[in-house]
Amino acid sequence: MARRSPYLITDYRSDLRLFGSNWKRFGLLLMVVAFIGAPLQLDNFWLGLLGLVAVYAIGGIGLNLLTGYAGQVSLGHAFFLGVGAYSAAWFGGQQGWPMLLWLPAAALIGAAMGALVGPIALRLSGQYLAIVTLGLLFIGEHFMVQWKAVTGGTRGTSVNADLAIGPVDFANLELFGITFTRNQGLFWLLWGVVALVALMAKNIARTRPGRALQAIRDRDVAAEIIGVSLSRYKVAVFALSSGIAAVAGGFYGAAVQQFVSPVEFGGIQGLVFSITFIAVIIVGGMGTISGGIVGALVVGALPRITQRFADYLPFLKSTPNDSGIILVGQFNLMLFGALIIVFLLAEPLGLAALWRRITTYFKAWPFSY
Amino acid sequence: METSTEPAHKPDPGPTLLDVSDISLRFGGVQAITGVSFTVNHGELFAVIGPNGAGKTSIFNCINGVYRPQEGSIRLDGTQLVGLASRRTAELGVARTFQNLGLFTNLDIIDNLMLGRHHLMRTGFIAGALWWGRAKREEIENRAKVEQIIDLLELGPYRRKPVGMLPYGIQKRIELGRALAMEPRLLLLDEPVAGMNLEETEDMARYILEVRASLGLTMIMVEHDMHVVMDLADRVMAVDFGVMLTTGTPAEVQQDQKVIDAYLGKAS
Repeated sequence: MARRSPYLITDYRSDLRLFGSNWKRFGLLLMVVAFIGAPLQLDNFWLGLLGLVAVYAIGGIGLNLLTGYAGQVSLGHAFFLGVGAYSAAWFGGQQGWPMLLWLPAAALIGAAMGALVGPIALRLSGQYLAIVTLGLLFIGEHFMVQWKAVTGGTRGTSVNADLAIGPVDFANLELFGITFTRNQGLFWLLWGVVALVALMAKNIARTRPGRALQAIRDRDVAAEIIGVSLSRYKVAVFALSSGIAAVAGGFYGAAVQQFVSPVEFGGIQGLVFSITFIAVIIVGGMGTISGGIVGALVVGALPRITQRFADYLPFLKSTPNDSGIILVGQFNLMLFGALIIVFLLAEPLGLAALWRRITTYFKAWPFSY
Repeated sequence: METSTEPAHKPDPGPTLLDVSDISLRFGGVQAITGVSFTVNHGELFAVIGPNGAGKTSIFNCINGVYRPQEGSIRLDGTQLVGLASRRTAELGVARTFQNLGLFTNLDIIDNLMLGRHHLMRTGFIAGALWWGRAKREEIENRAKVEQIIDLLELGPYRRKPVGMLPYGIQKRIELGRALAMEPRLLLLDEPVAGMNLEETEDMARYILEVRASLGLTMIMVEHDMHVVMDLADRVMAVDFGVMLTTGTPAEVQQDQKVIDAYLGKAS
């Protein structure tokens, strides 16, 4: 009997597998090894950086569901991260709730806020929707500054929230008698959450609701005619995206910064933060889940790397008094802008599309198609 | 609430499936449709012809709830369609294809056809996110149905291609496939062969006949290609300026003086 080709798929069950081919299973294995091994190998700087990247990845996946899949532009993503961060500060920090309570609370509050914005998207699209969501940042800033009892006002507030699942405290991780540093423990926590969020988002994307979102993006009139409720799905995707953003924000406040201030999530800085997430999905790839993670690695890592190596790059200065032409922070903003422009021109569907092109090339090799 | 619909499997040229009675549609001062009435029987292929701007597509848009006619009633097996959102008419079993294509261009054929089954599926965000259980079961069941349609319309080779990259003739066929995936009771075909060359036209005509033979589907077709209309349709309605000129067999309509005048202009 002839041996079955490993490429031959004979039932739908195996066709629907996420990691169906041997290459993909190998890739999964590499990721698991990296997940377990990275904290043991990398120094504190890189682990801290990867913690931030994880937050970008979670938020990026959320924004990608909204913008990449459902085609709804939003400049207000930072606002929802802010909602999550302040929820972590209040429920996790002030009220002392455990993570398994404050995190869902943050997600639910974020989702509820997103659901309130959703109906606007029924009326507006494109740049009009972008302007309305931009307004969120300024309304948000006002609340963050004025609602002092919860937010600590302009000075912000420190976030001392619990980061434990049951007896396992990731901020003070002790396993098998070994004590790990905070950054090591948090790496496992944050990237575990990234994996979970990515898996759930991927599952949504490849089933009925995800297809409905993409139908709305591609042609909303036809979507309605085949039975997709525009109002239901637009509101739902705003809620979902904002809920995920709030989870990212919660970790940003509780794990990465341990501090929240209105400066980051509201107003102009909030806009910069929102655009950071837009850069994440454009660089990584709109309409792909893996794109959110890859984009986060690029966009999250770049600023910290330029900061670290500013001394070696003559045109950069870390403080205004140093020699050099441009401050690191400003340079990073320009870098994001340049990245967005370059990708939109050269590879509008991001690194994910580039990767797909490369794998297709090798699959078809030596033929060109 | 009626949600699941089975296609009528045997052509049953008896009772009326669709009863359009005296509908009128205005856009401001523009009278798009004036008092049009017709009935379509189970299993029938009913064609609507008329010059450009005659109101053919507007009639479709009234049937599937895109427009709401100011007067008249449209009943599908007795259920009033006027006033229902197009989403609801889809659930009741009205499917359509578009004149200028209404495909989801970035999605592949499978996803486009699976979207046709959206109203027959139940997975929501939570069940979808969890995957194991209902979502997976539903995906597999519906995928099997979609693959039957892909086989019927011979779309197999393009299955995983984003449909926007495929040739026009194939895209028209995918639209037909998506409409079939909806398991409709009534299929509205808006210019299924518009812009096609002879070969593509013959292919499409063959697929329409095949669909009819194998599914016994009731269809209304708007078409400008008179060869296709005369060969395929059981009955033809001619409209002009939103008014019905005549309804009858293809041969009768072809001979009708009002129809000839509408197309060729009156001899003066």
